[in-house]
Amino acid sequence: MSGLGQRGSPRRRLVSGIAFLLPNILGFAAFTLVPLVMSFGIAFTDWDTLRHNIFRHETLRFVGFENFSWLFHHPDFLHYLGNTFFLMLGLPFAIAGSLGAALLLTRVSHRPVARRGAFIFATLFLTGSGLLLRMGGMSQVGVWFIFGVLAAVSLVAGVLTGGSVYRTLFYLPNFTAGVATFVLWKKLYNPSGPINAALAPVLDGFASVVRSAPDLFSWGVPLACGLIAAALTLWQLWRLRQHWDDATAGTVSVVTGLLMLAVPVGLQLHWFGLSAVTAVGGPLGVVLIGAVLILKRPRRWGPVCARDAGLSAEIALALGLVPLLSLLAVGVTWGSRLPALAAVGLPAPNWLGDYDWAKPAIMIMGLWAAIGSNNMILYLAGLSNIPPELYEAADMDGASPLQRFWHITWPQLAPVTFFIGVMGVIYGLQGGFEMARVMTKGGPAGSTTTLSYFIYIEGFETGRLGYASAAAWVLFALVFILSLLNFRFGNRSAND
Amino acid sequence: MAETHPPFRKNTAHQAQLSGPWLSLVLVALSLLMIAPFVWMALTSFKTLSESSDPEWMPGAFHWENYPEVFKIIPFLRFAANSLVIAGWVTILQVFTSALAAFSFARLEWPGRDRVFFLYLATMMLPGLVTLIPTFQLMVRMDMVDTYLGLVLPAAFGAFGTFLLRQFMLGIPRALDEAAEIDGASKWQIFWDVILPLSRPGLVTLAIFTFMGNFQSFFWPLVMMKTVDKFPLPVGLMFFDTERGQATHLLMAAVTMSVVPLIIIFVLLQKQLIRGIQLGGVKG
Repeated sequence: MSGLGQRGSPRRRLVSGIAFLLPNILGFAAFTLVPLVMSFGIAFTDWDTLRHNIFRHETLRFVGFENFSWLFHHPDFLHYLGNTFFLMLGLPFAIAGSLGAALLLTRVSHRPVARRGAFIFATLFLTGSGLLLRMGGMSQVGVWFIFGVLAAVSLVAGVLTGGSVYRTLFYLPNFTAGVATFVLWKKLYNPSGPINAALAPVLDGFASVVRSAPDLFSWGVPLACGLIAAALTLWQLWRLRQHWDDATAGTVSVVTGLLMLAVPVGLQLHWFGLSAVTAVGGPLGVVLIGAVLILKRPRRWGPVCARDAGLSAEIALALGLVPLLSLLAVGVTWGSRLPALAAVGLPAPNWLGDYDWAKPAIMIMGLWAAIGSNNMILYLAGLSNIPPELYEAADMDGASPLQRFWHITWPQLAPVTFFIGVMGVIYGLQGGFEMARVMTKGGPAGSTTTLSYFIYIEGFETGRLGYASAAAWVLFALVFILSLLNFRFGNRSAND
Repeated sequence: MAETHPPFRKNTAHQAQLSGPWLSLVLVALSLLMIAPFVWMALTSFKTLSESSDPEWMPGAFHWENYPEVFKIIPFLRFAANSLVIAGWVTILQVFTSALAAFSFARLEWPGRDRVFFLYLATMMLPGLVTLIPTFQLMVRMDMVDTYLGLVLPAAFGAFGTFLLRQFMLGIPRALDEAAEIDGASKWQIFWDVILPLSRPGLVTLAIFTFMGNFQSFFWPLVMMKTVDKFPLPVGLMFFDTERGQATHLLMAAVTMSVVPLIIIFVLLQKQLIRGIQLGGVKG
């Protein structure tokens, strides 16, 4: 094909091609490439702004890998690294939320909206809130009035716009996410703020339920959670073995599926009081044994699949499984303590001021911002790309909605999920600065200090630039590995 | 065939569990959950200081005077103007240089082009945190700390814009620029008169992304700006949230004033945004 610009000597074409690139490349070189090289250099020096600045010129000393070794011998750094990973446990919830929202939204756009029903509900809301207002007066029931009117308005707008108003509303938190909304959430999380005000009656009710059957909670909840978790783990192991035997999952996929299982187990062990190293190392050993057990099995049809076959499906599933198992681990660990706590009444958490609650608080806010995010838009596109024939075939076979989802929607969306998951982890590694700076200042006791906030503190407050650069390169290495994974397996799985 | 068989209708019996009005109820409930924080924000902005820590959502009376009060305490308009100027310049530079580079990658053929593009793509994965500290030191040496230029330049050249516009330009039919070339147009004329006008939706999308991202940027201005009058809005908002003063009602008034324009922009421009997300995400 003779495309444009095929004319002229290669040299001329090169010149004109580069000429168009030049403005971008020059700026890029000055503000990305040069700093990048500098950063690499700084990571191996003892640059400290107290001793090396524009007023004092002490000679920089080359310290080799000292900064790096210091990082990994520094308990705080490992703590912050752990925080960064812990906060990423919110990612699967966010992805599940995005998928759920996208599924709901496609339902609206694919079938005629039941206009009459929506209008009836809108009228009900409006009259209900009008009656409330009449009875209670603006200052008492104003909020309910406002929400009633908002509900009615969005119902009508939903009918008029064919449902796209819901997409707008879902996406809104993501679009406005920034310092302003973080400040807003900081106020929402006030110990006496609206969230706790809404939680108080729920917690009181729950406490009285716990008090009425303390035995049930002291051993029933941990037992049930433990059983469900064990069942899920066994199911996943069985499924992995099955897929390995069917040659629908390759070596890499099986090991990934097993590695993901190690995350909640490690968390659980850590909460039981094991040190972080043992808690991570133990499950990793178990994973190795599991891998050997599964991978040693002879394949019925011989090794016919690629090593990474079905990887995106495994990762997509693990994304759901890991947070679920982690939640169950919470139940196992803290379920037995509930009766003792409930005896004196369950207090609403002091969200951002409490070491254990600060991280969940930030994850919940992240969830609010992330459900209607770009991920939802990507899922919407992915859903509309699924060939309808697949569903038609499933309907003829009399598949239940759950089966349709599990056997068609979920596997068809696996490449999207893989992409979203990897990108989420990459951004998650770099994230958390604004939330930490605005909402918690990294506290309490470093509970919400992520890698990025740590780099900020070291680079701009304590001024240990060498140390901060070394931390940034650790981050770079992590992101680089993930990007390689994405590049190596992402496109391939998209063609599965 | 088509006439004899009625069009296949999806089996509604299997999907009936959540459809029609009930589905819209679920959607409305979710939507209200999403906007509830904004409702609280707006309501709190009308409270008095003593009311602002009440669990009650409604203000006793609507204190509109909170809004003028904000302008007395911080130079809100100045902050907003700073943000506009900084984000505006970043957007102009970013869109223009990206369009040039994207044209080179999408429409010209030169030896080594795809390898260079691959390198470009690779830099998208570079965490910004790695270059942060040396960039700041660079700014110190170049005397650009506490200047608008120091905020604009590091943000103005990125690979993402090039990538997005290249994806867009690849979709423009080749025949158009070939025809222009036969008519004797130079490369620049093809770029300026043919491709650029046709890429307008892509340019708009990139402009919105860049503008919004930089309008909200916090980290870099926080470390770069020392003079209060040069603070962009996100940094300026922090004045209401210090250890000493907790003027929640005024803070919420200021937050409302900075969020509401975003909401309006979003409602107006969401079509372009969604197209951009799909364009950028389909081929990561």
